[in-house]
Amino acid sequence: MDDETFLLLLLSDSNLPTGSFVASSGFESYIKHGFGGDQNNETIMFMRDSISAYARSALAFVSDTHRIVQHMRRDVEQGSEQKSDFDKYLQRIKEVDELYDVMTLNDVTKRASKSQGVALLTLYSKGLTPPLTTTGIKNLKETEIEVNSYMASLVAQYKSLVRAESAPGHLPICWGILTGALGLTSERSQYLHIFLHARSLLSASVRLNEIGPYNAQQTLLHISRSVIEAEVVRCKDLQTGIPLNTGVAGTESDQSDGSDHIFRGPANTWPLGEILAARHDLQHSRIFNS
Amino acid sequence: MPGSSTSISKIQAGGGRITLSSHGGKAWISEFSATYPLKLLSPRLSDNAVAIVYVLTYGGGLVGGDCIELTVNVESATKLLLLSQGSTKVFKDRPQQRLASVQRSDHASRSTPGQASATLQNMNFTVSSQAALFLLPDPVTCFRSASYSQIQTFHASKDATLVILDWITSGRKSLGEDWVLSRYYSVNEVLIAGKRVAKDVMLLENNEFNSDSRLNRSLAEKLSPFACYATVILRGPLVEETIVQLTTRYGGISIMQRKAPEDLLWSLSSIGSDKENGVVVRVAGKETEMVKDWLKNTLRSLEQHIGVDVYRRAFV
Repeated sequence: MDDETFLLLLLSDSNLPTGSFVASSGFESYIKHGFGGDQNNETIMFMRDSISAYARSALAFVSDTHRIVQHMRRDVEQGSEQKSDFDKYLQRIKEVDELYDVMTLNDVTKRASKSQGVALLTLYSKGLTPPLTTTGIKNLKETEIEVNSYMASLVAQYKSLVRAESAPGHLPICWGILTGALGLTSERSQYLHIFLHARSLLSASVRLNEIGPYNAQQTLLHISRSVIEAEVVRCKDLQTGIPLNTGVAGTESDQSDGSDHIFRGPANTWPLGEILAARHDLQHSRIFNS
Repeated sequence: MPGSSTSISKIQAGGGRITLSSHGGKAWISEFSATYPLKLLSPRLSDNAVAIVYVLTYGGGLVGGDCIELTVNVESATKLLLLSQGSTKVFKDRPQQRLASVQRSDHASRSTPGQASATLQNMNFTVSSQAALFLLPDPVTCFRSASYSQIQTFHASKDATLVILDWITSGRKSLGEDWVLSRYYSVNEVLIAGKRVAKDVMLLENNEFNSDSRLNRSLAEKLSPFACYATVILRGPLVEETIVQLTTRYGGISIMQRKAPEDLLWSLSSIGSDKENGVVVRVAGKETEMVKDWLKNTLRSLEQHIGVDVYRRAFV
């Protein structure tokens, strides 16, 4: 089995400590506000609209962050990294993060996003870096060791920025950092992110008694899949508009044509979902945090 | 030509400029120009600190290829209320229909596949220290197959007040139009003292992505049962009281399991983590009138800053 496949299996483990267990992505609020209807397909309708809306608002941030981290990896692999570039890259990631923050004008969503984001950074530092004792670990090439160490440093530093509240630490950005640090491709990173969003939603639906556990698996396999694929294809080339190159010689310009990015950037496409997600805290009783 | 001002900016078709200045406690409009199809009207007021400008388009709506570029400067200690006269109607995407021969801007001349004759409104607002901008237009109504984009950028000082209303309705009820527009794209970007604090981007599209019809969700299905969606951005000294009222009201809402959705729903979120940056209110209503009444009542404390008569002109 190749490295990437193993990583995918690991990252899709539902026991992965990411804090997504307490998030319903607005589904609980949707049901509580009376949008359930009585046709037994609320879950599917919500899933469809939620995946579409989330992909359009977040994927560009995942892919842009991932691209920055890939640049950093390449620098190390080519032996051309410098301390000053490291800081510039960190700064770029922070800009992408801050843009997501000002574009997500929803207190509940931001709260959930930040708590899951920092959980991912912690996951990398504590759960995915090589352990201190080296028994049992296959021999790594020297460049691999260097890259891992560089990535660990990136995650640690970014996490400090988040703890110091000088970077927001939002979920799509932290996912981009995590998957970039692990060496996943951008396509896989985007796909997995949306897959996990869909799965988390179905899991919330089961806990809310909206569908049964078998029905949830059936939906995930036979219905969610085409939605996930379609939305990832639709949003994979979106860009945040933040220039990603750091002016370092050798990095290609990632900036899209100025006017283009206006229409090809992140957007909110489901105002109803936005309002219901924001109203989550108004529920008299609730089992989810968001 | 002797005596002509070299500072008068050149404007293109659909271009406009408004500058509200103050001198000795009195406000006056120092710049006021518009080119077809944009039209600006400013009635005389008795209260010299507040000015009203109606932003209109010839024909009462926007047609394919229209490009409106408006620059607004609200200088220190002045208050400007921007209104429209009736809903901004956006007509179906069709080849260029205007008869004017005025020089068209680069955007309108550029022909991009799929966007060849979409309409665009691009507005830039600068609101200076202790000044206030109240942008309270009627909602946009995109007719069947219409394609509309709107970009509004606000540069405000730390102690400026902004009330920005941006709303859209589902179409002409009489013709059974229920969210059958082709595309609606609206950006509201707010910068305070040069720092971006909010960028709200709304994109509504009707498009088929999949041959599997079961998974196609039309806009009408996604937005049902509401026919009107509004976003209001509030920040600054003159709306502090309104924000407190809203926050208290919001905190008092408690939702128990409902069988069906309410007729009107609203949400409140803060902008940034700094209290100074204000709030975003989102409203959805089954009928436009409901949303209008809600907005009129919610923003009523503006009367103390612009006067009852002036406030009455909004939400007519």
